[in-house]
Amino acid sequence: MNHGQQSGEAKHEDDAALTEFLASLMDYTPTIPDDLVEHYLAKSGFQCPDVRLIRLVAVATQKFVADVASDALQHCRARPAPVVKDKKQQKDKRLVLTMEDLSKALREYGVNVKHPEYFADSPSTGMDPATRDE
Amino acid sequence: MNKKRRRKARVNSEAPDDQSAAEFSFSLTRVAVSQICLSVGYTSTDTSSTLNTLTLITTKFLQSIAELAASFSNSANRTEANLFDIVNGLQDTALSTSDCFPGGSTLHNTESHCLIKSAVLRNLSDFVASAFEIPFAKPLPRLETSGSHGGDSTRMARSPEMRSFPAWLPPFPDSSLYLEPYTKERSDHLWENSDSVIGRETFVETSGVRSSGRLPLRRASVRFKMGRDCSNGGGSCKSDTRLERRRDDNDGEYGREFEAKKKIGEEYIYCADIDAGEWNM
Repeated sequence: MNHGQQSGEAKHEDDAALTEFLASLMDYTPTIPDDLVEHYLAKSGFQCPDVRLIRLVAVATQKFVADVASDALQHCRARPAPVVKDKKQQKDKRLVLTMEDLSKALREYGVNVKHPEYFADSPSTGMDPATRDE
Repeated sequence: MNKKRRRKARVNSEAPDDQSAAEFSFSLTRVAVSQICLSVGYTSTDTSSTLNTLTLITTKFLQSIAELAASFSNSANRTEANLFDIVNGLQDTALSTSDCFPGGSTLHNTESHCLIKSAVLRNLSDFVASAFEIPFAKPLPRLETSGSHGGDSTRMARSPEMRSFPAWLPPFPDSSLYLEPYTKERSDHLWENSDSVIGRETFVETSGVRSSGRLPLRRASVRFKMGRDCSNGGGSCKSDTRLERRRDDNDGEYGREFEAKKKIGEEYIYCADIDAGEWNM
């Protein structure tokens, strides 16, 4: 009996927490607009009239992008800083999102991104002229 | 330079609606993603392809959650997804992106049925509570539509009698294409007025008032013609003399009841009287 009462109370608390979370979604405005999220959801066959669920998906996507960006930022900061001659330049360190950091961060999320370092006009570009077949 | 401009113009003229809608939504998503990157601490990207890649992955993430949730709802014989479908979709996505997903075993517990035990939902709850709100940079024009239309502003809202159909289905074609208007001419296409009835003009005149298809008990005989190669109960009419022979054979027995007339031209006309009333064949 005691165990049943405790589980009932816990369930009540969990339900209250879930209700509170869904209510807080209406106060929180995600960065991705609701109409844009609705467009992509409807494109995939998702149909739901409840705005809270659309906001839940928007918040989940925002969190995913924020996690990826923060992981890339950690990779960027972990890289050894180059030798700086000017003191002013050291203070104003501008963080630039590079493809290298992004690919390292996305690899942990199961997305393989490979970016070619340069594009050549032909396969023999950059080769030694003596060995190039003409 | 002019030739390049002409080539570009030619490419852009192909399917402008679909391309422009996709490009518009992609550019909006790119603005949102760049805002999120700014909030994390980044100030710029090295190339535009980096931001485009992250934007594309964001759209794929959105679509993958939607597909998972839609498949879960369809498996449960529903067309509209609910919170359970979304949480299951998020759990599946988290399974592919991280090594572990605490709370996944209790998610489907039949006793509790509580979704907040899911770690994914708890993480989202903490994120909403702690993260700063970043509203979208540009105000979007609000569409005056109800429900999800797939973001397609060219689609009109359904009429009240069509509300039962989901909005994401394509609209019905114009009613003039599948509705046949009822015309009075159809009622005239009765068998009595067709060419197979001999003397239909006189029949029409003498018929009097039509009684909605019901035939009176006493009615005039109808004479109709049949083709030459018609089969009459077990044999085709091969020669003209068949009737004559039949008449000679059956004259003794059925002479009173059966009377056959000679053929006229290429057609045979049968006229038979049977004792049981006025039965004309």
